[in-house]
Amino acid sequence: MSNDENKLRYSVRGKKSRFFESDGVDELVSICMSIAQELWVVKEELAMIKNLTINKGLITKKDLDDFKFTKRQKENLNKDNKEFIDRVFFTLRESVEAAEAEPDEPKPPTVP
Amino acid sequence: MTKYVQHGLKVQSKPDEVARQNFMLNMRSYVMLDMATGMKKIYDHNIEPNFKKLNKRDPKNGDEIHKVIKKDTYFKFYSSIRCNAQEMVFRSVLPPIERSMKDLKRKAKTLSKSKKIKGSLNLDKNLPIPKSVSAIDVHLMPGCYHSEHSENDMSQGAIYDNGVSVFSMGFFGDKLDDIGSSISLFIKKKYPKFKPLKILDLGCTVGHNTLPWSNAYPKAEVHALDVGAPVLRYGHARAQSEGVSVHFHQQNAEKTNFKDNSFDLVFSSMFLHEVPRKGIKLILKEAKRLLKPGGLMLHMELPPNKMLEPYDSFYLDWDSYYNKEPFYKPFRDMVPEKICSDAGFQKSKFVQFIIPSIGQFGDKEIIKSIKYQNGNVDDRTGRFTKGIHWYCFGSWK
Repeated sequence: MSNDENKLRYSVRGKKSRFFESDGVDELVSICMSIAQELWVVKEELAMIKNLTINKGLITKKDLDDFKFTKRQKENLNKDNKEFIDRVFFTLRESVEAAEAEPDEPKPPTVP
Repeated sequence: MTKYVQHGLKVQSKPDEVARQNFMLNMRSYVMLDMATGMKKIYDHNIEPNFKKLNKRDPKNGDEIHKVIKKDTYFKFYSSIRCNAQEMVFRSVLPPIERSMKDLKRKAKTLSKSKKIKGSLNLDKNLPIPKSVSAIDVHLMPGCYHSEHSENDMSQGAIYDNGVSVFSMGFFGDKLDDIGSSISLFIKKKYPKFKPLKILDLGCTVGHNTLPWSNAYPKAEVHALDVGAPVLRYGHARAQSEGVSVHFHQQNAEKTNFKDNSFDLVFSSMFLHEVPRKGIKLILKEAKRLLKPGGLMLHMELPPNKMLEPYDSFYLDWDSYYNKEPFYKPFRDMVPEKICSDAGFQKSKFVQFIIPSIGQFGDKEIIKSIKYQNGNVDDRTGRFTKGIHWYCFGSWK
C-alpha cells in the first residue's frame, strides 16, 4: 500500500434493511433523498452567489472559492434548509396531522 | 448548527461538500426530531388504540410495539429515511477525507513529535480484530473502525470524527465531548475526595470522550484503548492537537496487557452496546482486575430496557435491527446491577446516574442533579432531543 492510494469504500457492506413490500420503493426513497440533497446543494450555492452579488456586484472564481457565510446568513440558510426538508417530505407531516384529526369526516360511498 | 471539525486535523471541504453535509445535518434533525415526534403521535392515535382493542390490554414491551408498528407506512418511511440519512452522513464526509489523507498524515506526524504534549501511541499489528468489528460496518459507517486503505492510514478516525460531527446535530458538542465533559464534572463534584491518578477509557475510538477526564483531573495519567489502529492514530494526533496528553493503546478491552490494580478509574462511553454479551461480561471482569481497591468503573450507555416505557424501548431498539448494531438490544436487555455483580463487584457498591448534558444545561444543572438522582429515566435519556441526559452505571471496587 502506498500513501498515494487512499481510495475509500463508499458502500456499506452486507445486507441492506428493506421496509416496503412493493418492489423498488426502498430504492426510490434512496434516490429521492439523493435528489433532495443535490437540489439543496444547488440552493446553497445559489444563496452563496446571491449574497456575493449583493455584497460585491461582481463575481470572480476566487470570490466564489473564498466566500464564507456570515453567522446571520448561516442561520437564515439553516432555517431555509429545514423548511425545504419539510416541503419535500410534506406528505409525511400530512399523515401525522390526519392521524391526530378528529374522525368526523363523512365517509365516501363504498367503492363498488 | 454544530461547528464541524475545527482542530488541527480539520479537512478542507469544498462548498458543494459543505452543502451536502449541511443538508444531512438538517435531514437527520428532521428524521430524529420531527419524524420521531410524528411517529409517536401516530402510535398514540392509531396503533396503540388498535392494539388495545385487539388484545384487551396495553403492550407489554418494545417488541410487541415493533411487531405492529412495522406494518405502518409512516414507520416504513421513518426507517427508510433514517437508514439512508445515516449512510449519506458518512458519504458526505468521504470525498474531502479521501483528498486530504496525505496532508492529515503529515500533520499527525508533526503533532506526534510535540515536545510540549507528551501523549503516546502504542499499536499492536498482531492484535486480532474481533468479529463484532471486522465483520460489520457498525452503525452503517463504511469500513468500521479498523479498515486500512493505505500505509499508516487514519481514514476511519477521520470518517468517525467528521461523520459524527454531522450525525450528532450538535448534541455531542463542538468537540464531540459532551458525554465525557458532563460525566467527569458530575463525578468530580459528587465525589470530591475521589482523585484518580490513573484513568483508562475503553473502546475510545478517536478519544473524544477521553480528553475531558484529563481536564477534570489534570494530575491523572490518562490511557485509552481501542482495537482499531486508524482510529487510534487519528485519536492520538487529535489529542496532541487539543493539547492533552493521552496514551493510546491498540488492545482489546476483554483482555488487556495492563497490570492488576493499576487504575483508579475505568470508563467507557457508547461502547458496551457494540459488543456481544460474552464480550461485555469479560470486559467488566477485566475492569475489576484493572481497578485498584477503592477505584471506580463507569460505563456511559443507553438506558436498559427494564427502566423504560415500552414505546421508548421500541424506539431505542430500532438501531439494533436496522442500523447494523446487532448487539445493542441484547446489551440493553441485560440488567446493569446483575452484570456488575456477576463480574465480581459487590452489589452494595453499584452506582447509576442520569446526568444532564453540559452543552444543553450547563455546569450548574449538573451540580444540582447530584442531589436529585432518583434512578428515573425518561424519553430524553440517551435520545437526540431537547433536554438530553446521559445514563451511566458502574461500581466501586
